[in-house]
Parts: sequence; structure tokens; C-alpha cells
Amino acid sequence: MLLELQGVGKRFESAGGGAVLEILKDINLSVEAGESLAVVGPSGSGKSTLLNIIGALDRPTTGRVAFEGRDLAALDDDALAELRSRRIGFIFQAHHLLPQCSVLENVLVPTLILRDADLKASAEVRARELLQRVGLTERIAHHPGQLSGGERQRVAVVRALINRPKLLLADEPTGALDAGTASQLGELLVELNRDLGVTLITVTHAAGLAERMGRRLELRGGTLVQSSEANNP
Amino acid sequence: MTLWTLAAAGLRHHWRAHVGVVLGAAVGCTVLVGALLVGSSVKLSLRVLADQRLGRTAWALSGRDRLFREELAANMTETLGDPVAPVLQLSGKAGRSDGSARANRVSVLGVDERFSELSIEDALPVPGPGEVVLNERLALQLNAVPGDQLVLRVRKASAISLDAPLAPHEDDSVALGVRVKAVAGGDRLGNFSLQANQVPPFNAFCALRDLQTATGLAGKDGEPARANLLLGGTAAGSETLRSALSKVWTLADAELKVMPCTQGGLELRTDRIFFDAETEAVALQAAPGARGIFSYFVNEIRAGERATPYSMVAAMGTPMVPDEMKDDEILLNAWLAEDLNAKTGAEVELAYFVVGPMQKLEEHRRRFTVRGVLPLEGATDDPTLMPDFPGLAHTDNCKDWDPSFPVDLDRIRDKDESYWDDYRGTPKAFVTLAAGRDMWTSRFGALTAVRYPDAKDREALAGEMRKRLDPAQLGLAIVPARANADASTADALDFGPLFVGFSFFLIVAAVLLMALLFVFGVERRAEEVGVLLAVGFTPVQVRRVLMLEGAALALAGGVFGSLCGIAYAQFMLYGLATIWRDAVQTSALSFHFDALALAAGAMGGVAVCLIAVILAVRKQVRRPARDLLSGSVTDEPVRMGRSRGRWVAIVSTVAALGIVVAMGARRDMVAAGGFFGAGALLLSAGLGALAALLSGLRGKGGAAASFGLGVLAVRNGTRRRGRSLATAGLLASGSFLIVAIGAFRLDAQLDATSRASGTGGFALLAQSALPIARDLNAKAVQDAYNFTDGELKNVQFVPLRLREGDDASCLNLSRAQQPQVWGVDPSVLAERKAFSFAAAEDGSGANPWLLLDAPAEGDVVPCILDQNTAQWGLHKGIGDTIEYTDGLGRRFYMRIVATVANSILQGAVLVSEARFVEKFPGVSGYRIFLIDAPSERAEAVSAVLSMQLGDLGFEATPAPRRLAEFNAVQNTYLSTFQVLGGLGLLLGSIGLGVVVLRNVLERRGELALLRAVGFTRGGLRRMVFGEHGALLVAGLGCGVVAAFVAVVPALRAPGGGFPFASLSVTLAAVLMNGLLWTWAATVFALRGPMLNALRNE
Repeated sequence: MLLELQGVGKRFESAGGGAVLEILKDINLSVEAGESLAVVGPSGSGKSTLLNIIGALDRPTTGRVAFEGRDLAALDDDALAELRSRRIGFIFQAHHLLPQCSVLENVLVPTLILRDADLKASAEVRARELLQRVGLTERIAHHPGQLSGGERQRVAVVRALINRPKLLLADEPTGALDAGTASQLGELLVELNRDLGVTLITVTHAAGLAERMGRRLELRGGTLVQSSEANNP
Repeated sequence: MTLWTLAAAGLRHHWRAHVGVVLGAAVGCTVLVGALLVGSSVKLSLRVLADQRLGRTAWALSGRDRLFREELAANMTETLGDPVAPVLQLSGKAGRSDGSARANRVSVLGVDERFSELSIEDALPVPGPGEVVLNERLALQLNAVPGDQLVLRVRKASAISLDAPLAPHEDDSVALGVRVKAVAGGDRLGNFSLQANQVPPFNAFCALRDLQTATGLAGKDGEPARANLLLGGTAAGSETLRSALSKVWTLADAELKVMPCTQGGLELRTDRIFFDAETEAVALQAAPGARGIFSYFVNEIRAGERATPYSMVAAMGTPMVPDEMKDDEILLNAWLAEDLNAKTGAEVELAYFVVGPMQKLEEHRRRFTVRGVLPLEGATDDPTLMPDFPGLAHTDNCKDWDPSFPVDLDRIRDKDESYWDDYRGTPKAFVTLAAGRDMWTSRFGALTAVRYPDAKDREALAGEMRKRLDPAQLGLAIVPARANADASTADALDFGPLFVGFSFFLIVAAVLLMALLFVFGVERRAEEVGVLLAVGFTPVQVRRVLMLEGAALALAGGVFGSLCGIAYAQFMLYGLATIWRDAVQTSALSFHFDALALAAGAMGGVAVCLIAVILAVRKQVRRPARDLLSGSVTDEPVRMGRSRGRWVAIVSTVAALGIVVAMGARRDMVAAGGFFGAGALLLSAGLGALAALLSGLRGKGGAAASFGLGVLAVRNGTRRRGRSLATAGLLASGSFLIVAIGAFRLDAQLDATSRASGTGGFALLAQSALPIARDLNAKAVQDAYNFTDGELKNVQFVPLRLREGDDASCLNLSRAQQPQVWGVDPSVLAERKAFSFAAAEDGSGANPWLLLDAPAEGDVVPCILDQNTAQWGLHKGIGDTIEYTDGLGRRFYMRIVATVANSILQGAVLVSEARFVEKFPGVSGYRIFLIDAPSERAEAVSAVLSMQLGDLGFEATPAPRRLAEFNAVQNTYLSTFQVLGGLGLLLGSIGLGVVVLRNVLERRGELALLRAVGFTRGGLRRMVFGEHGALLVAGLGCGVVAAFVAVVPALRAPGGGFPFASLSVTLAAVLMNGLLWTWAATVFALRGPMLNALRNE
């Protein structure tokens, strides 16, 4: 078991100390290694919040999140940062590339804080391989401002994979792309899930992308329900 | 790819945003480097001035009031193997022959080519006979050029103190007509002085021989030519110098001489007439059978109705006076016995003068019984028993006597004249030595000669005396002139920290601006930070990257600022030489590059900027990655609630009012401090009220009907309450500080006639170039000086003795090593309750002046000095001691028992006159005068004093003017602070512009929405400008209102020098500048197609 959520809930209190807003309620979820999973749901249903909790960017109000058997609640902020660095990759709706860095440099940013010297030493080779795989070899020295939207998002995907994560989290990865580019990116994510064995959890509105995932869950009223049978990739 | 390259990429990409950060850091570094360079430049300038005033002089042998042989210089040269220059240095005055210009307190130096050789660069032109070389300051004062004729007036040097009994005339001065040969600058030793001061003295260099001849010191009749200062150019240890001196000095250097006695044997006499205690003790031990003699001039010897005027009486022992003779017995010579018709057993009465303070002559009388009559022959007929009393000794007739004391020449009979012709000053009567000492002993001594009946070898006796006497005890003290100069410049007022202090607000403003711009840049890069956090960077790692960038920017600013700092320092030095000249009294301060100061300033500046970056970044990266990535901006939490702000306002206002009431009408520095405190409290109250207001407005729902752009602006102002308060607070504190610091301006005119004021209630403070021994309050003395009736009506003089030394006041930038000492009669000041005391030792009672009367404890003497002089000039406080060397070369200590608040006494150490004359017996007369006069006649009295006492170089200054000169230093420093603070405030108002930009760009989406729903661009500008303009006005208003409470004491001072105009200009400039930047930032932030921001949202 790669990831397990047990009874996870998330509440927000309004600034004035008024009403409590309950976003997530009693979420239970188990994800095996290599699985692909889509979480769908209407806006404001808590999809991104769930993804942030899974990705150790946020902590649940109640319940327990275990990654590779480790309870995330037991980890301090530095340990969580280490976990994100080594085991989890993120792709956002906006690419969030650093405008001051080239494509290659953007991809290498997560490796800057690695303590594993071997992994660090091989990072550039790995980055070039991955960029070649997503068709960006020619763009390696370009800056984000010189890339198209799809290319930027592909760089973001490579950046997410550079440290060989076990879990790839994608938050509306195709949200800012046109249909054609979005389809290509969806294809790429599925390929990577399949070829690299990386577990993929994506939050999306895009039915096309969701349908490519092995399992599809829907967040409704703060709880997670089975949306449909998993499609075979 | 490393963290460094990531940071470098950030620097490259955001360079435009970083320009402001670098400039902010550069301004901070400029000011810091500039301030330190000013400090080192002042220090190096003082060193240059010290080099100029000393030339190559390493040590000096100063005889002070002693005159030694000029030949001693040659003797020292032989022993040391290096040239030593003899100088005769006398106080005097100089004037143009036509009387069109004059200078008092001129140092007249008799020099020869040996002095000239002490020059470092070009040699001082050696004055020939009838010539004078002036230094530039004196030439300027006299408007003199080479070829001009001048008159120098100096007092005839005398070994005898003016205060001594039967002393010479105090106005025994001599004029020298001289032609100006050249004007010598500082580089040619023109500014020679042993006293450390950046203001050169008035120096007139004459030919040594000329000055010696004019003052009777050229040497004749076997007497050696005299000098009173030796200068050596080779640095030698004090032991070496002492040893050299002890080898070569002779008794003539101590004004002693051994001569054959007419009665056989040898006799020791002194040019000073009276032997001081040390010399007497040694002289009586120098050879077996030594006998002391004390001869004195008596006004009258009376027996019944018959009286003999003006006679010498000798007090001595055998052979003249038998050992068994009683102290109330007297022996008469035959001539006197006959004149008085007195026989053995008769009663005679002696009348004689005793000199009291201020040379007041008191006639005392004493009765004796005639023990016997001595024939006027053999040992009795000995005119050498009379000392060389000036005005008596070398006259042919009694009618030619010209002593300094009153003699009624009409009383001199023909028989007296015949006696003088036949027997000169042969004593007419003899008393026991004990009786003589009891009658005539003064602080100058109790013997006029010592005779050695059995001694024959003059050299042997002189050698024995030399062996037993320490030249230092005779006032032949070696002064380590160079070491003293080095110490005075090393310990000089350090302008570096001073200017850092003055520039404090400017530095703070620059660094805050830099930090603001940096943080602004970081906040705009929230998304980058979010990504770094999301990919696993810890906040610490992210901050490290940002700090690397910040450090690089601070470094760049440091390098740029250091270069600008050089220019800034030159600008500040120009300011010190011109508009702030009152603080330094000289324009001789020049820029000196000091790499160490530059490096220290640059490093300090970079460090301050780094700290600012660290503090700024520390508060960043606190928001979670998800917020940063989503670009959501959260309003800051409310920290200080409305009620807390309100309470701060209420409590502070009440406390401020309490202080104002408590201070009431007080007008001293305590009041200034109190009002400053009240102002500061009002500032807190204002900011508390603003905080409460912002909280209140924020919480208000408001009716929909009243909702408009204005309300929206107010609401916006309350959104970033912390930022709004910080902005207003910065402006308020800055404006408060700059205006309120004016409260500490000192006004010399304030209550100037009050005894408690800094003038002590005295109308004039005077100093004479030549000492005045007599009491100027006495009608007879005033008549003697040709004052007409009424000129000195209601004028009272308080005379003070002066031991020349370094000026320890704030007018001297160098640290005084041996400050000048004034001797005063404490009771005179105590009776007047003159001056206010800043502090005094416990148990001082109501009048600390009387503490000066306490007897010396061992070698510790109580002293009082001005608080500013103690604190800033000497770095001392109550109970501390000042080490000093007395007139006999002995070390003693002056313990500070009280300090006087801000007064005209600055620069000197005051001891009681009794202690003064003990420690400096050779310093004669009075040279400082505190003068009471009706204030409306002060100028007229000053003029008449300068006129009638002009030959004594008497210079009277209105006391308030003198105090104003001292106050000008502090006031100028305050002005400097206000100018530099004003610049800081201008910079602070630029910061407001940055805040506007930040606020607007942060809310660009919201503003775009307002635009989308129909608001005009102009309307939005007005809204943004309104909300920030209000902050500017609130901040400045808060500060200025609070400051005006703080400056109440300065405002109500009569004719107070409160700089309304300059401060109004400064504040108006700050307001206009702030509005300009606010408007510019508003326009800039709201330019372009705003609706794009909406789409990005």
C-alpha cells in the first residue's frame, strides 16, 4: 500500500470566529503503487484540499494519512519537505516555472536540495532523458517565456518527475490548456504512469483526462464516492 | 545548478526590481562610509594640525615662570647630540603702528635659526633684528603684510612673581617696534604651540636677541642670557632627557647664584628674592654652618615721637644676632639709635607691609625692646644684606626709588638720602630669624639669603646644591610634546560615531526603504516561493536562496555606496567648514582618504543591510505553498484591537498632560527633557488613536447608501493595518524627532542676568594677556589705570588666577591633556550663588562652591568644572580625578566635587585660589575676570576696560556672547541632525511611494474589477491617492503636533533661536515629496490595461 487515508476530515474556521466550514468529511482511501486515480467533483468540493493533504502541503483536521506506511502526522515540517522532495511530485494547473531559469534549470530545481550525492550527480542526465521523452530536447536552454503553454506544462511534468517520485499529484494539469494540448498532456501522464510505474493521482474537471485513469472517484459534499469502474489504461 | 546559480538567476531576472534595493543599500552605505570618513578626516586633519604646530618638536623643557640660561640649549645639544632650540616665549599683544588693528593674547616668541630647523617642510624665516614673522592668523587679524610696521608689547620678564612682597610693577611692560618680515603658514611652523587646539594661536616670532634685550634678559655684567623654553627635535626617552638635564643644568638655571660673601665665606641668593621651601631646605643642608637671612623693607621704625622712614631690617642669627636674643628684642645700628634717640631697653615699633590677596597691602606693626646698639662698622656695615628689590636695589638716590608699593618720597629726609649714599641698603636693625619669619613669611618663601661662613669653594657648594636639587622641582619640567599631541589627537572627539548618530534617521530610512523594496520583490515572487516549497524546499532553504540574493544586492549597494561615501564625506566636511563652522571653529579640516574607515563603513553598511534582509526574509515564506501558488492574498490578522489602541491613546495623553503641568514654567534642561518626554507620549497617543481608528473603521459595516469611493479608500487603508500604521509611524517618528530635537537648542540670552544661568549673572567675562595683580575693585587701582569717575560705577570684578593649559571646552576638537586651571575665591561665587550645579558630591550642602575650600587630602585637590567640559572634554564625572603637574613638577590630582550646568566656565578646571597658589606658586596675578555690570552698560564697560587696560591685553566679552559661542556647538550639531534627519524623512516619504505600489499591485485584480464594473481610472487614482495621502498627513500631523509640545521650552525662550523657517521648509518638502511619490506610484500602478489582471485572476 502506497497511500492510505483513514477518516480524513478538514475544517476551516472563518476569521471572525464564526461558522465552521467543513470541506472534507471522513475520507477513506487506499492507493496501491503504480495505480492511477482521478478525483473529480464540482468547484469548491475540496478536490485541491484533498490533493494538498495527500501531498503533505496541508494537514488534515481529523483522520490519518499514511504514505508508504508512515503516518504523516508524526513528521515535522522538515521531514514533510524531505518527503515531498524525494517521494512526491507535483503538477499544478499553472505551470509555476521560474521565469529566471532555463528549461533545464527549472527541471533541476528540486534536485538542489537533495542530500543523495549519486542522485544529484545523475540529475542532469535524468533531466535530459526526461525532456527528450516529452519532446523538449530542442527547448532545453529556453526560458519559460519562450515556450508555449503545452511546453511549459510538460516542463512542469518533468520537474515533478526529476527526483523519481513514487507518487505524482496533478491538480487540474490541463486546466489552462486548449483541448488538443490537454489531450497530449493526458496521454503523456498515462504513459509515464505506465512506463515509470509512478502512482498518479489527478484532480480534474476534464472528463477526458479522468477517463484515462485506472480509478475514478468523485468528491461530493465533502465525502469521496466511487464514480465509475476503473478503465484499463 | 546550485543554490548559488539559482540565486544568481533570480538576480539576473529581477534586476529591474533590484535596482531600488541596491540604491537603498547604497544610500545607507554612503551615509555610513561618509560619516566614518568624516571622522577619520577630522582625526587626520587634527594630526596634520598637530604636526604643523609642533614641527619636529618631540619634547619641550618648559620653565613656565622660570627663566633659565639660553646656553642650556647648547649644553643639552652637546649631551644629546641633537640640536635643541632655545626660545623666549612671552605673552603679549600686537598692534599696527597706526592703531588700526590689534590682537590680544599674542604669543611672542624669541627664536633663532635653531627653532627654524624644527620645521618639517619649509623652514620658518628667521627674523632678523627689528623684524617679526607673523603666523597667518595674526597677520589676518592685523591685516599685516611683509613690510608693515607693528608694535609688540610684552611684559618684562622677571624672576619675581607679581604677587610677591615688594614685587615689580605689573605694568612693567615693554614695547618693541618691529617690521613684518614674512607671514608663515602652518607648514612653516607658523602655528607653533604646545597646546592642542585646532584654532592656531596668534604667534609673533622675533629675533631671540631682540626680545631678550627688550626685556632685560640678554645677559650683562656676567649674567647669562635667558630663555624659558627649550625644544628638542629628537624623540628620546624621558629618562634619557632627565639624565641629560641633570648633567648640564646649573644653579643659574634655577635662578640661584653662589657668590663670595663680604663678611667671608659664601652666600647663596636667588633672582626670585625669596627661596621657595624646597630650595631653602636644600640650601640649609648644603654645607655646614649654613645660616638663613631674611631681610625686609619696613615702612617705619618708630620710638615714641621719633620715626625713621623706609629702612631695611634683617632677621638672622649669629654673628649679628646672638643666639640668646629673644624674639621681641631688636638690635639697632648706631645711626638708627641716634636718629630715634633710642637706647637699650627702649621700645621701638616696626611698621611693614604684608601682601594679602590681589596684592592688597596691609600695614602691620610690631613692638620690640631694644636689646642693644651696634656700631655701624664691620659686619654691621653690610649693604649686601639687602636683596635686589626691584625699584630699590639699583637706584642712586632714595628719590629715585620706584617700588610697586606706595612710598611717600616726601618723608625721606636729607639724612636718609645720606645714609643711602653711604650705606645703601644696609639694615638699620636686626631681629631674630624667628621673629622675621613670623612677620614677613609669604607663600614665596621665608629667606632672602643663606650664608656659609666656613665655605670657600664656590664650585663645590654649587655642586652640592645641584646634587641635592631636582631640576623638575624647580619647574624645569620636560614635557613629552609629541606624545601629548599624539594623545590629544588620538583621544579627540570622534566625528565618526557623531555623524553616524546625526545620520541615524537617514541610515534607518535608507535601510528600511531597501528592506521594503526587497520584501516587495520577494512578495511579488510568491509563486516562485510556492513552487520551491512544493518541490520539497524547506522554508529555511527558500529563505537561504532569497538571502543569497539579498546579500549580493547588499554587497553591490555597499560597493556603490562606498564610492558615493567618499563624495558624501567631502560634502559633509565642506558643511563643517562653512555652514556648521560654529561646531568646529576652523576651516582647516580637509578630506583624508582612510581605507580602514572606508572598509569599516562599507562592511558596517553591508552588515546592516544584511540584517535588514534577514529580518525581512524571516517574515516571508511563512504562508503555505498552496496559498502562495494560488496567489491568494490574505488580510493580516488584527493585532492591536480597537480598545487597546484607545487605551494607549488615553493613558499616553493623560501622562503627557501630567508632565506638562509638572514642568509648568520651568525653563531649564530638565524642562526640555520633560517636554520632550511629553511629546513622545503624545506621539504614542497619536499612533494609538490611529490604530484604534483603523480598527474601528475596519469593523464598521456602514450603510449601503454611504458607500462610495471615499469609504472604499478608508476601508482599504484599514485592510493592511500593520502596513498603514508602520508607514504612518515612520513618518510620525521621523517628523517628531526632527522637530522635537529643537527643544534642546540652547539659548544664551535666556535669563542671562540671573545668577543661576550659564553666565552666573555676570555681564562680562574677560581675560588679560598679562597678569594683573592688584584689585581692580579698589578705587586707587582704578585711578592708577586712569578710569574716570563713573566709568566703572556698579562694576565689580571677580578675579581668577590662570594656569595656562589646553582648552578643554567643546570648542577644542583635540582632547585636552593638561587643561587650563583657574583659581577662584569660592566664597565670592558662593555669596553670589553664581551658576547652577549639574551635580555635586553628597553632603555638599546648599552651595557646592564651598567644597573647593576643603583642604587638600594628600596630593588630591577638590575641583569644580563645567558639566560639558567634564563629560565631553575630559570624559570625567563626579568623584573622578584629573592628573596634573604642579608648578614644581610634582604630580597631583584634582578630584571633581561638583559640575556646573552649561556655563561660561567651560574649558577650565576651577580650584580654590588657596590651593592654586600652593600648587602654582610661580603663577602671578590674575588673568581671568568675571565682571558684574549693569546689563545695559555691558558693552560700554567692555569698551572702556579694553581701552584703559589695553596695554595688558585685556579683552572683555559679554558673558551671554561667550556662552552663545559654546552653545553654538551644540546648536550646530542639532542643526546637522535636523538637516540629515530631514533627508532621512525625504527618503522615508519615498518609502511611502513604495508602499503605495505594493498595495496597489497586490490589489490589482480587485481594482481591475472596480474598473470592470464601471469605475473610471481617475476615480480609482483618487481613491488610492486619498487612502495613502491620508496616511502621509496622519503620520506627519501626529509627529508635528507631538513635537510642538516637545519644543515648548524652545518656543517660549525670549528671542529663541527655534528654526521655524528651516523646519517648515523641511516638513513642507517632506509633505510635497510624499504626495508626489504617492501620486507617481498611484499613476504607475494603475496604468495599462487593468482588465488583464482580472483575466489572470
